[in-house]
Amino acid sequence: MLEVIGLKKKFAGKPALKGVEFSVAKGEIFGLLGHNGAGKSTTLGILLGMVAPDEGETRIDGISVQKNRAEALAKVGAIFESPGFYDYLSGYANLKLLTSYSGGVTKAAIDEVVERVELDDRIHSKVGTYSHGMRQRLALAQALLPEPEVLLLDEPTDGLDPEGIKWFRDFILDLRDNRGMTVLFNSHLLAEVEQMCDRVVILQEGRKVFQGGSADLEEDQLVLKFEVDPPSLLQNLAVEFGGGVKKNNLVLPKTTDIALVVAKAVQNGGQVREVRQVKRSLEDLYLEFSRKVTR
Amino acid sequence: MIFLTQLRGELTKLFARRRTYVGYGVFLVFELILLVTFQIDSIRSKQEEFMVQNGLAADEYFSSLTVTFMVMAFSLFLLGSIYFALVSGDIVAKEVEDGNMRMVLARPVSRFRILLLKFLSTCLYTITFVIFVGITGYAMAVIALGVDGGMMAFSPKMKLFAVYPDWGSGMLRLIIAALLIGISMCTISAIGFLFSCMKMKPATATIMALSVLFLDMVLQEFPIFKPYEANFITYKMSTWLFAFENNFPWAKLVDNFAFLIGLDLSLFAIACVIFQMRDFKT
Repeated sequence: MLEVIGLKKKFAGKPALKGVEFSVAKGEIFGLLGHNGAGKSTTLGILLGMVAPDEGETRIDGISVQKNRAEALAKVGAIFESPGFYDYLSGYANLKLLTSYSGGVTKAAIDEVVERVELDDRIHSKVGTYSHGMRQRLALAQALLPEPEVLLLDEPTDGLDPEGIKWFRDFILDLRDNRGMTVLFNSHLLAEVEQMCDRVVILQEGRKVFQGGSADLEEDQLVLKFEVDPPSLLQNLAVEFGGGVKKNNLVLPKTTDIALVVAKAVQNGGQVREVRQVKRSLEDLYLEFSRKVTR
Repeated sequence: MIFLTQLRGELTKLFARRRTYVGYGVFLVFELILLVTFQIDSIRSKQEEFMVQNGLAADEYFSSLTVTFMVMAFSLFLLGSIYFALVSGDIVAKEVEDGNMRMVLARPVSRFRILLLKFLSTCLYTITFVIFVGITGYAMAVIALGVDGGMMAFSPKMKLFAVYPDWGSGMLRLIIAALLIGISMCTISAIGFLFSCMKMKPATATIMALSVLFLDMVLQEFPIFKPYEANFITYKMSTWLFAFENNFPWAKLVDNFAFLIGLDLSLFAIACVIFQMRDFKT
């Protein structure tokens, strides 16, 4: 549904994107991760035709944004971190105005979306009087008009309270599950991305350093938090099972039977206090890449 | 049809701002001050003396039409240039600054169309504002001096001196002049619009537009440029005064206003190219 092909972009001679490539399948929630300045917003800007790439192309449902922007964006709704509404107009007037650039929508369509984002009681108030959460819901409403197939979300949950974040997450998941919406989600809230996204791309200094889903997060080794007395036994176990010790964790071949390791420890006179498999989170992976870049 | 809906949306934005009405209010107050000033004995007697020196009956020609002419010429020249530069300097740059433009650019609409809508709404706003100044100026003048009387129009710089003994022909020329001032003022808006499309703050765009106008005005007064003053932008913008010449100068007006409209369209085209080349990023 979304294709990002060999994007390169420099701002004032400084490279912002160095050949970024990825694709998002229909009905997928896809996370775009990276530190500030990694190139997330530039990628999103190029996808929306707001930034011209030096090289490469983006396609939405097969239509090139660079060659046929209007047609490509007809299927897209977008939300930004701080949505720039006209504060002196009502929420309803903002929706009418913004949707007029997409060819206009009916009042019934606006009313339906406003009800879905639970903004019906304040939609005729000036946007200047809205809370941040209400502004984000209005942003969601404008992005859903008129019925997009793709949502591009640029840090949409930033500044929202936990209830707001949960409401937003449930809403997006519902859009995917019940409407088959494709979502590209740009965020640095790793837990949020992990909960929502089917797959992620991690960008580091304009380069793609990881792409994959939750299955790809799994390590090719078995990592055990293995607390045993005496602790010196840990090294013996590692040698015995052909592994090693890393950060006080026992790192063993993936096929190792944990029960056998525990039995061996007891046999050797050890007192096992805790055994737990350590799984790599998205945060671990992200920080791993960050450290690599810092080094 | 959708174009008209979008244009209405642009005008809604312009007219929903409080600052827009502050502008109207400021002009009303300014007109009022000018009217009161013209009623001050020493100033009024100077005007009347000028009329008598030119063989005109002061009580006949110091009328609502003459005062409206003076109010429009003064207020639009002094305040209009600042106000239109302010509005046009804001029209794109402010939306970029506030993040509104990003929301619009995320829609399936071309940048050219966005700018065309904004440019048209700025021009419509400018012309209607000038008409508003004309109508309110005349209404105030009528309250102060009554309806009757002829009209005298003069401008030493443009070498204009014209009189209209009957109300009807004076009013007709005043209406034509108001429309021409509106078109002239669109040039200020076009200059402001051009700067507004560049990567700069709204206030900078306004200052740049005013700088261009003042530079143009000052330069044409330099002795070296005096022979070419008719080619300067602000001179061309003042040619609406020719509409008061007794023999209606079609050729002169068409020539000057074709130049101004051509300039406006050129500035718009340059603005489009600049805007098209810009990257908009969070």
